[in-house]
Amino acid sequence: MLTLPPLPARLLAAPIDLNGPGHYLHWGVIQISVANLVVIGLMLIAFVAAILLPFPRKRGRR
Amino acid sequence: MKRGRTREQTPDSHAFPTRPYDLVKEAVIAVIAVTLLTFGLAAVFSSPDEKPVTVATWSQADPADFTATAVTELGGTSATAQYGPPYNTAADGQKLGPLPLQTWAGVKHPIDTANDFVLQPLRQTPEPAAVTAALARWNAASADQQTKWTGAYSDALGKAPNGDPAKVAAGDYGPVPVLTARLLQLGQSGTLDAQLLAEGHYFQTDYTRALLFLADGSYLQDQARTQHLGGDQWGMMNETGNYPGQAWLWLYTFWYQVQPYKSSTNADALVWGTMALLSALLLLLPFIPGLRDIPRLTRVYKLIWRDWYRDHPTPNPGTART
Repeated sequence: MLTLPPLPARLLAAPIDLNGPGHYLHWGVIQISVANLVVIGLMLIAFVAAILLPFPRKRGRR
Repeated sequence: MKRGRTREQTPDSHAFPTRPYDLVKEAVIAVIAVTLLTFGLAAVFSSPDEKPVTVATWSQADPADFTATAVTELGGTSATAQYGPPYNTAADGQKLGPLPLQTWAGVKHPIDTANDFVLQPLRQTPEPAAVTAALARWNAASADQQTKWTGAYSDALGKAPNGDPAKVAAGDYGPVPVLTARLLQLGQSGTLDAQLLAEGHYFQTDYTRALLFLADGSYLQDQARTQHLGGDQWGMMNETGNYPGQAWLWLYTFWYQVQPYKSSTNADALVWGTMALLSALLLLLPFIPGLRDIPRLTRVYKLIWRDWYRDHPTPNPGTART
């Protein structure tokens, strides 16, 4: 029989539950979790964006 | 003379153009953005929710491993008993080449595994008569006899089906089976967790003894390996479940995956030494020819300040030397 947690617990529960078996990529000696890979990708995107995006400037001034 | 010429070419900082910059506004925006991100991500993803591994959960889930480990603690053959400083003098500990780093640091947290993990907890709790007699017999025996008993019982446990103490073949194990059976009862009841944490203070904050006892068994390691937290699984940068871990430790854990670190008994000291050397190189970067020229050669700064270089294509006193 399926038992559900009480309503307050269900309402407060995180919509995305990451407490499951981890997903890992293997490439030779390298092992990395998909979660770490995503975070590293986001960091690289932030780094490139920080370099390429123009500085905000007030109108009429270079 | 070259040095003098270089100094002449370096423009005074007041010669550069300036622009107003509201640092306080920038900091406030950064704090607000990070706060919103923190609460937002916590609400969406929550946090790892693994139940703690304790001596009680270990001894209940895997009594055979607990008993086998307790015998090695009693006989002084466990990893902790043979580790060396800071727990005992059984070995030299980690060395960096000829430098015995851990021997220099000395035995700062003395641990006698037989007494601290087995005999003392048994003495501290109300004992059945059989346990009192077993303790008396153990104390009266010579060290050589104690080693024979624990060695024979370890071998017998290894041969028993599933390592089950109830299925061990008959033999001369002295008081060892009685002592370890009682310790298993204390472990399963949760009493042993409290005893290993006891420091004689009101607050108990030193988990060293409980963690070492747990680590001497194979249960904790099996749990860790299942979650990809083993040393040879890049475990240092991983987290339980599908949560991102400590990605910034990638270089530290990388060394443990390759030779000669991978198979070295001094891997911890070697990795520490390597990272200390690399950190020193990073710290001294401005003084190292070649390495210090990388920013100038890659010209990333021209990308960052592209507006300035577009407007000032030729070098003048206000531009950086290229």
